[in-house]
Parts: sequence; C-alpha cells; structure tokens
Amino acid sequence: MERFIDYLTQRIDVCRDQIVALEKDGRKDEADFAKVRLNIYDVCRTVTNALAARPGAGPEAVKAQLERFRREWNAALDKAREHGDTRNTVVGETKLEALEDVMEHFAEVAQ
Amino acid sequence: MTQENALKLFKSLSDMSRLRIIQSLTKGEMYTELLAERLGITPSTVSFHMKKLEEAGLVISRKEQYYTVYSLNRDLFEMKLSDIASSEPEETDEQQKREDKYRSKVIESFFEYGKLRSIPVQRKKKLICYEVIAERFVPGRIYTEKELDDIILPIHEDYCTIRRDMISEGILRRDGNQYVRIK
Repeated sequence: MERFIDYLTQRIDVCRDQIVALEKDGRKDEADFAKVRLNIYDVCRTVTNALAARPGAGPEAVKAQLERFRREWNAALDKAREHGDTRNTVVGETKLEALEDVMEHFAEVAQ
Repeated sequence: MTQENALKLFKSLSDMSRLRIIQSLTKGEMYTELLAERLGITPSTVSFHMKKLEEAGLVISRKEQYYTVYSLNRDLFEMKLSDIASSEPEETDEQQKREDKYRSKVIESFFEYGKLRSIPVQRKKKLICYEVIAERFVPGRIYTEKELDDIILPIHEDYCTIRRDMISEGILRRDGNQYVRIK
C-alpha cells in the first residue's frame, strides 16, 4: 500500500506543477481542471490512508471504494452530457481520467 | 453592445487557449476535433472554451453532419475596440438586478438539470422554486390532479407537499379536482 500512496503523492506534485504552468500561461480554466485532477489523487490518497489504518481492511476495500467512485462519477458524467452541460462534462471526464489512472496503477501494485 | 456584454467579451478573451482558438479560426472554419489536435487539449475542453466564446458572441457555430463547425463572428471583430470599451450599462434598475441575481443563485443551488434537490426551508427561496415549477403549467389551463402530479413528480418526489404549498401560496387555485395556475 505504501508504494501506491507514494505514487499518488507523486501525481499530486505533478498536478501542482501543471497548475502553476497553466496559470503562468494564462490558461486559468484549464488550471482549474488540473486542480480537479489534483483533488482526485488527493481524495484517493486520503481514502487509502484511512482504509489502511482500519484493522482488517485490505486492498480489496480500497478497490471497492475506487469502483464506487467510478460508478457515481460515471452517472454524473452521463447526466452532464445528457443536459449539454459543457463545464461539468469536462470536470466529469477529468475526474474519471484521473481515477482510471489511479485504478490502473492500483491493479499493478496490488498484484 | 451593453457594458455587461462587453465585460463578458473581455473575460472570454483573457485566456490563452481561447486566444489560440480565435487565432486558428482567423484562418477559416474549424471543428472541435481539429482544434483539439492543433492545441493539444481534449475535445471536451475545446467545447468548453467554444461555449464561452459563443456566449460572448465572438464565435458562431453550425451543425454539419456529425460535426459542429465554428467560425468567427466577423461583425463583432470589425467593431472598434473604443466603441466596445465605451458601451453603456443596460438600463435596468439596481434593485431589480439584485433580485434577479438572488433568484438565479437560488435556482442554481436548488435545481440540478430541472430536478429540485430539496424543498427550501426559507419561504422566499421556496417561492422562487415554486415559481420555476409553475412555469411548467400553462396559465389558465385546467389540470386534473393526476396531470398536475405527473408534472411535479419528475421534479421532486414529494409532489403532494409541493402541490399543497403552491395552492396555499396562491400560485395554483384548486377547484374540486381541478387546478389552474394563477400566477
């Protein structure tokens, strides 16, 4: 689990650099989307830390929580697309993109 | 152009990606995927920027088979910057403006894609939400209770409370099993 948390911390740092670069380039809205991405890595790290501290909760519990996120965020994205809500569509896609990256890495680490 | 529109225009221009989009469009019409490829951003991010540019009146779009094709609104680009900068504020009184802003804020917080998240506790907010729901009814048309509930239910599950409240607030009038929108 430690390797996974290190990975998430590293992704958070990358997002931080991207935010600074985008803001410097005058791309504020895209910097906001990068903040959304950072937030996802941060949420996943918090959840993993909390579950790791809980007795009896192993990688399966983390996986189940990540899958719960995926289901909920997919539903929210479908709703945004259905209503032509461009902002929430980008936010939803950004969240799921980051989550897919997290889940992919989690699968590698958990093996 | 009003001062509000001018502000929207300048705000939409104060972003590097949107400036790059405009730069690309000066060379000709373009569709989302092509712009995304050129700018190295996702198509949905391009759509997000295009919406802002469209709202500001800088860009116009048209559907062409599966694509949305964008082009610059030449009329706006031919306007003098000094004319835009010296545009006058819209003639609405300040009180009305504040009320409209408050109303929009309430609607934004209590409605999501046409569904009421929860019935507000505060009467002022509740009335605004009910007025929004009332827009679904044609004034003067007679509705049966079932027709009324069928309209309210997709908005919020507690259709009985909403129906009762709308009557007591004088938005709807009940006459036996018939209902009419009066406000």
